[in-house]
Amino acid sequence: MEFVKKLYESIYTNANQNAFYIKDTFYTYKVFSDIINSIRFALQQNVSENEKMLGLVTNNDIETYAAIIALWFEGKAYVPVNPEVPQKRNEQVFELTDIHYVIDSSEVSTFNDLEVINPQKIESVTQKIPLKKVNNNDLAYILFTSGTTGLPKGVPITFNNVNALVNAVDIEPDFNLMPTDRCLQMFELTFDFSVVTYLFPILSGACIYTIPKGAIKYFYIFKLINEQRLTVLTMVPSIINYLRPYFNEINAPDVRYCSFGGGALHADIAQEWSDCLPNCKVFNYYGPTEYTVYSGFYPYNKETHTKNHNGVVAIGKPQVGTTYIVVDENNKEVQVGITGELCLGGEQVTPGYWKNPQKNEESFFVKEEKGEMIRFYKTGDLCFKDNQGDFLYVGRSDFQVKIRGYRVELAEIEFHAKAACEKKVNIVALDILNQLGNSELGLAIESDEFDTTSIFEYMKSKMPDYMIPSHTRFIKEFPHSINGKINRKELKSYFEINK
Amino acid sequence: MNKEEILEKVKSALVTVLEHDNFQLTEDTTAHDVDGWESVTHMMIISEIEASLNIKFKLMDLMNMNSVGDLVRIIESEL
Repeated sequence: MEFVKKLYESIYTNANQNAFYIKDTFYTYKVFSDIINSIRFALQQNVSENEKMLGLVTNNDIETYAAIIALWFEGKAYVPVNPEVPQKRNEQVFELTDIHYVIDSSEVSTFNDLEVINPQKIESVTQKIPLKKVNNNDLAYILFTSGTTGLPKGVPITFNNVNALVNAVDIEPDFNLMPTDRCLQMFELTFDFSVVTYLFPILSGACIYTIPKGAIKYFYIFKLINEQRLTVLTMVPSIINYLRPYFNEINAPDVRYCSFGGGALHADIAQEWSDCLPNCKVFNYYGPTEYTVYSGFYPYNKETHTKNHNGVVAIGKPQVGTTYIVVDENNKEVQVGITGELCLGGEQVTPGYWKNPQKNEESFFVKEEKGEMIRFYKTGDLCFKDNQGDFLYVGRSDFQVKIRGYRVELAEIEFHAKAACEKKVNIVALDILNQLGNSELGLAIESDEFDTTSIFEYMKSKMPDYMIPSHTRFIKEFPHSINGKINRKELKSYFEINK
Repeated sequence: MNKEEILEKVKSALVTVLEHDNFQLTEDTTAHDVDGWESVTHMMIISEIEASLNIKFKLMDLMNMNSVGDLVRIIESEL
């Protein structure tokens, strides 16, 4: 497997370079490779060849990153769980994937029913362990996102998928990382955007700067930009929405690249942000977890490339090896300029949702395109293509929303809220824009006021914190549209948080 | 405005943003001590305080703020 070999070579070639900056400490690639070897040795001693997937608790430490690379060097996949997410949900993830072993660097692991390997407490091995043969179709990772029925939905990604991503980004002439680069890694490792923020720096021997859990993210990122003089930023747009009031204090001439993804980038704020980064190329990336992080980008430039639709910056063209088509409800391609659902084809498409044939039936289809049979993933994003071949984002086709870059199914929140509610009342989850232009979650309850403490306690035991509504309103009677459906748009007006 | 009055203003900003008053506020309180006070709500709290006191914080000050006591001192310097 090409990219795994490249990772292996880079780690040894760049032994003296810094690999990570975590909680005020630098770690070199030499230190990193020693930890990788120690974990590999422990895996070889304790875990049988047939165990192809291991759980990984995503702590913010070098051992957790080393575990990912160690698993890949052994040809195995990681299934990450965030220790701050309810234990029940994490156990569900491990049950769904039939996990027996978990790599957990926590002082005390909460996974007592599994075999726990703690990389802080294993024998230290410093000799180089040769690379194992890695099979193309074996899995590299499985990430779980919000599902509609209260069960999280697994997206498996193969080594071949990741390899295709690496090839597509390598071919791109405008983006080349160097061993001297200092790169931001602000994502939780259960979020697919994290893959590009550790993978590409390691491939180039660059240094990765992480965010401590519990830090005020926005200010910590600014602190890193300012004091550590970061050169490469990869962010969700909500970060700059929150920093916007302070843009006049930000001037970061060291930043060479700033990549956005995981949500709509607005043209006005992109322009103001560009003023803070005078020597920077800005990329507006697009891509769902199901297509291995990135499928394409638009090279935003405040002077020359400002294409947008309703103020949302274009998502541009597909990258090398990827085909975009826009289809109607019968999966038939629509004409240029017509809005439809964006579908992605190419080597980066997931083999399909984990043990979910029904969802796979709905989300994937095979279609002949330029004489070739291509398997497409339906993104649920509404887009259209313009005359120059650029794609523009219009909106979502379903009740999925983005909260701080995370995909959230409103139905999942409603499912859990109703399950905990003793009264049989209508409950609707909504995404509401706050005064800084970011989405927050609201819970509308069709009833007289009552105490919701137990509902919220239940939701907190079932879902990660970004899925817990931050606003609650009681409405005597929900507004309805002409065809009898709940009028969500009007319901949102009850949440006056954007005064 | 004295310290108590500032603390009272901070408290009311917290209640507005977090939609609960289930906390004790002293100068040693940090975000970890208050339910729901994290990265996103912190930004909302800051902008709520700016609006209610008609002040504007500096990013450099906010960057190094670790407790409610720090917040009160920054507000004092802005008033």
